[in-house]
Amino acid sequence: MKRVGYYNKLQRHGYVFILPTLLFFSIFLIIPMFSAFQLSLFKWNLVSPKVYVGLKNFIKLFQNERFWNSYLVTLHFTFLTVIIITFISFWMALALTSKLLRFKHVLQSMIFLPVVLMMVPVAVVWQFMFQTTGLLSVIFLNVFRFNIPWLTSTKITPYAMILVYVWKYTGFYMVMFIAGLLDIPEVHHEAATIDGAGFWARLIHITIPQLRNTLILVLVSCTIFTFGTFPLQYVMTEGGPSRSTEVLSLLIYKEAFMYTKFGYSASISVVFFLTLLIFSVIQLRIFKSGTV
Amino acid sequence: MVSYRTGTTIKKVILYTIIIAIGLAYIFPFIWMVLSSFKLNKDVLAIPIKFFPPVWNFESYYNAFHYADYDFPRYFFNSVFVTICAVLLCVFLSVTSGYGFAKYKFKGNNLLFTIVLSTIMIPFQAIIVPLFILVRKFGMQDSYLGLIVPGGLTAFGVFLMRQFFYSIPDEIIESARIDGASEYRIFVKIGLPMAKTPVLALIIFHAQWVWNLLIWPLVIISTPEMRTLPQAIALFAGVYFTPYPEQLAISVVACVPILVLYLFLSKNFVQGITLTGLKR
Repeated sequence: MKRVGYYNKLQRHGYVFILPTLLFFSIFLIIPMFSAFQLSLFKWNLVSPKVYVGLKNFIKLFQNERFWNSYLVTLHFTFLTVIIITFISFWMALALTSKLLRFKHVLQSMIFLPVVLMMVPVAVVWQFMFQTTGLLSVIFLNVFRFNIPWLTSTKITPYAMILVYVWKYTGFYMVMFIAGLLDIPEVHHEAATIDGAGFWARLIHITIPQLRNTLILVLVSCTIFTFGTFPLQYVMTEGGPSRSTEVLSLLIYKEAFMYTKFGYSASISVVFFLTLLIFSVIQLRIFKSGTV
Repeated sequence: MVSYRTGTTIKKVILYTIIIAIGLAYIFPFIWMVLSSFKLNKDVLAIPIKFFPPVWNFESYYNAFHYADYDFPRYFFNSVFVTICAVLLCVFLSVTSGYGFAKYKFKGNNLLFTIVLSTIMIPFQAIIVPLFILVRKFGMQDSYLGLIVPGGLTAFGVFLMRQFFYSIPDEIIESARIDGASEYRIFVKIGLPMAKTPVLALIIFHAQWVWNLLIWPLVIISTPEMRTLPQAIALFAGVYFTPYPEQLAISVVACVPILVLYLFLSKNFVQGITLTGLKR
């Protein structure tokens, strides 16, 4: 009996170890999250007293054209970016794990380079390249005989954003895919080749099924990360020509810290959070359904 | 993996060409940035395009560091200081709680861990408003503390360290206990030294996030001297015109620290990413 008591007393040290984190997370993560929900029920400009408005913020929100524009802009950006990044990074990972290629580490580092750069200077540089007298415009003029209004057209600018974002982060997800690819035991491919399977057969029946977990991870994390994009849009276009690149996090920032509508901004934050939650649940459900 | 058969030379050539072209396209904007920071203001966006600086302008860097009302060295220091402190905080929290969750069986272990892990779902952008109000209540706005404290937030770190500490055998800890070591001594003398690799990966991962963070300093920092690098660069605009080479110079300098870190520790950068995929 004494022994059991001693061991149990030992286990209680666990509480001490986790205490700092529990405290810290409660104060600076969990409480703010609930606080956002609470704040969304009020109208507040930080100076005058809070006014309880119930769900009026949300009603205003769902009738507000600017909100829907922002929401759709963000969805459009996220959807396209995730698909393009997943596609490109997958093929690049395949290429960089191929036996045909030497200097893999150098190539990987080159493609990974944009990932380690700071997004703010990156936005500055690309802004230069997108100018009417900038590098990209001039190249296009000389090669294709027409110019693209990269940052001045409401139709084109969102795609310019996608271009920069894809350029910046493909390397990151490529590395994830490479890790997943390297995890596939070689014997699978060898056995299949002996049985006469060609490249595509092996790809479809061995590689992709084995990459299931990695693919889920890439899709989910890319979606969550991309949906919250902020610095790129803030620096390059501040919301774009006529709000065509005004993403949700930018709207949340503006409503609170430019227009001092803190309650309204909190309600947008709630929608933001719930959207991501639903995304993740849906994505995980879709992929879980196929698991053995 | 691609076919082993001979006669794959054509495939090789095509593959090499495409990948090298992509690789060059990926580093090209960075090269342009560095080269342009040495150009004269009029050459940056000149037509016809001048890829290399026709006249090398080293003054851009000197100017950027010596502006009257734009204290770039101070902003650099702010970022460095905040990043180091935030990373230390993050590591402390992750390592202690990871060890606690992994090595002790106490009531509520799983429940509490699930709660902590679920905070991974809370996107930082969604809490900037309440966090701002909270930080203001503590009087931490416009201060280093206000930047560091939210900078220590990471559920990923807790997850990572718990995964790691699960993997170290309990026997080592048991034998230390038999030898009379206190729990905290065991943690410091045995647990910590073993955790060098995941801690390094965590440091790299988290440092990048804090160093690059723009939205939070924008929210709580209003006095110019307290600005961090991303904020300072984002707000770098002259009253009449913006000096391009100087803007590019500070952009280059802002990228240098992490870049240098990457050149020396590229393996650990990759490790951090692959560890996120560890589901086994």
